[in-house]
Amino acid sequence: MVLGNLMKILNGEILLNKKYGENLYKMEIFSPYICKNALPGQFVNIKCCYEGMLDPLLRRPFGIYEIDKRFNVFTILYLIKGKGTLFLSKLKKGEILNFIGPLGNAIKIVTGAENYLLVGGGIGVAPLCLIARYLTDLQKNVYFMAGFKDELFFSWENDLIKIVRNYRIFTENGSFGEKGLPTNFIREHIDQYKKFNFICCGPREMLKALQDILQGKNIAAIALMEEMMACGIGVCMGCVIKIKEGNNAFTYKRVCSDGPAFNLMEVIFD
Amino acid sequence: MTENISESAPDLSINLGRIKLKNPVITCSGTFASGIEYNQFYNISNLGAVTTKSFSLNKRLGNSPPRLCETAGGMLNAIGLANEGIYYFINEQLPVLKNLQVSIILSIFGEDNNEFLRIAKEVNSIKDDIVAVEMNLSCPNVDKGGIAFCSMPDHVESLINSVREILDIPLIAKLSPNNDNFIETAAKARNGGAEAISLVNTVIGTAIDIDNFKPKLGNIFGGLSGPAIKPIALAKVMQLARENILPIIGMGGIFYWQDAVEFMIAGASAVGIGTLNFVEVDAGEKILEGISNYLLEKNINNLGEIIGKVFKKW
Ligand SMILES: Cc1cc2nc3c(=O)[nH]c(=O)nc-3n(C[C@H](O)[C@H](O)[C@H](O)COP(=O)(O)OP(=O)(O)OC[C@H]3O[C@@H](n4cnc5c(N)ncnc54)[C@H](O)[C@@H]3O)c2cc1C
Ligand SMILES: Cc1cc2nc3c(=O)[nH]c(=O)nc-3n(C[C@H](O)[C@H](O)[C@H](O)COP(=O)(O)O)c2cc1C
Ligand code: FES
Repeated sequence: MVLGNLMKILNGEILLNKKYGENLYKMEIFSPYICKNALPGQFVNIKCCYEGMLDPLLRRPFGIYEIDKRFNVFTILYLIKGKGTLFLSKLKKGEILNFIGPLGNAIKIVTGAENYLLVGGGIGVAPLCLIARYLTDLQKNVYFMAGFKDELFFSWENDLIKIVRNYRIFTENGSFGEKGLPTNFIREHIDQYKKFNFICCGPREMLKALQDILQGKNIAAIALMEEMMACGIGVCMGCVIKIKEGNNAFTYKRVCSDGPAFNLMEVIFD
Repeated sequence: MTENISESAPDLSINLGRIKLKNPVITCSGTFASGIEYNQFYNISNLGAVTTKSFSLNKRLGNSPPRLCETAGGMLNAIGLANEGIYYFINEQLPVLKNLQVSIILSIFGEDNNEFLRIAKEVNSIKDDIVAVEMNLSCPNVDKGGIAFCSMPDHVESLINSVREILDIPLIAKLSPNNDNFIETAAKARNGGAEAISLVNTVIGTAIDIDNFKPKLGNIFGGLSGPAIKPIALAKVMQLARENILPIIGMGGIFYWQDAVEFMIAGASAVGIGTLNFVEVDAGEKILEGISNYLLEKNINNLGEIIGKVFKKW
């Protein structure tokens, strides 16, 4: 079994719930347990209604964005999408958040790999930030590329600056960073990244484009995947994605307990 | 002092035919895997029983995603009975569960009678390690054009009868709320040799994405579970209980201990905790505690006093 014995039901005080952009928020949560045990790539499953309430019914998964071991605080970066995230955005400093974690598997770092290209699309940048921090601490060479629709993530750049020196930001409308898509840039400059390990997270179209670019190039690539979840701990079989297995065959793997990180080249997008 | 407490603690034990459980709280098939993950949150051997995910003979991949969709007060699932196959249960999971001293109800299903019988043969070798087998009869019968086993009462009788000939342990028939003839099916299940009925499985439902005009589930239709179905499930349990056919494990939308008590008053001898396990991972323990406190507060010494009590109050 992949899951460790570490996941727990936890309650943590909210220390900050700050608006970063129109519907983009960052929340800081006090949790010595998560700070001690969580690793990059893992997520927490958060109850998004008050105790005794039924709506929304299921917990919502969020990647861990930052861990500050000095103050026992971890953060999530989230976008308001629907009622669960709307509920989160209304919570105030001092309120208690109920969550289960750490969940999923930590990202695996292969020994010998020194150069990493992290590619994030939209809110997909969130889990990549913790990974970037971790790799930087390991003295790896980290290059961060982020793509957004518009300038919503403008103030997020202040967080990124603190983690990596080398980065490039793209927006589709050119309102923030360079105009265009990171995938187009990568396609044009792929020769520069032959010695890089890719780690990516973002919309399906972005991941699909990257898979296409990397086809046959013999470049290692990890994708952090997303799927609708019910349990988050590997029991309901609800969050599966299609993964290549052998020649022309496939199997289903659970994003929550087999992932969220998968070999990008083995993911079947159909 | 300790003696006083144990004297006043209500007796939570129940019988479902030959199945004897230390308390009425059971987990629903498919919402608890085989329980091992949940043992990280609480001691699952404290449950009346753990019902496993339904196992087929061989591994099944299940439906194409998306398999889940949340709806108001509930969720739709179209997992497609994905499971690792009965040998995986026997070889990998059972030894762990035995070690944990869990009371196990093994859920099984087949695409046709033959598959049910072949699983039954395999299960015979481990029958001393489990308390009962639950036959998931809500699954499609490929031999009969894919309609659910439980919609054909006579077929259910002969199927259960032939499983019983191979496998002499208590059998539970799990029925769906989607067939109007569930009472007749329950009666035939009893004639075939079942000792209890699990009611209800999920309610057929769907949801549509209005932006791309497509169903939200890969399989188009799914099964609705959670609080949204509780009144439906409770009514079915009550309708069946009134007929006094077999003891009932009542389930469908139980989210609070009060819901569990309601099911028992409606005639269920035991209760199944399903979707709630996803939300509150220690739900089994909490519901059990709630039932126990309720009995204490009401000065009720044994569960028999509340099971089916609604009929005495009419
Ligand atoms: C492993 C994992 C990590 C994630 N990390 C983050 C994160 O760091 N920050 C962040 O903002 N979001 C993250 N998400 C997505 C987040 O879980 C969803 O945005 C959230 O569940 C939406 O809930 P809601 O009630 O606000 O919206 P809903 O009303 O439930 O849905 C609104 C929209 O969001 C989509 N959605 C719902 N659930 C999910 C889901 N589990 N995954 C993807 N889309 C979903 C729905 O299809 C719908 O289009 C992550 C998802 C996964 C699976
Ligand atoms: C994700 C999921 C998977 C399920 N899988 C099975 C299954 O394999 N076999 C079965 O008999 N019932 C299965 N069920 C039905 C439940 O056991 C239960 O009957 C139903 O969910 C109603 O209870 P609830 O509302 O408390 O969840 C499943 C339900 C869910 C939500
Ligand atoms: S969400 Fe249940 S298996 Fe992943």
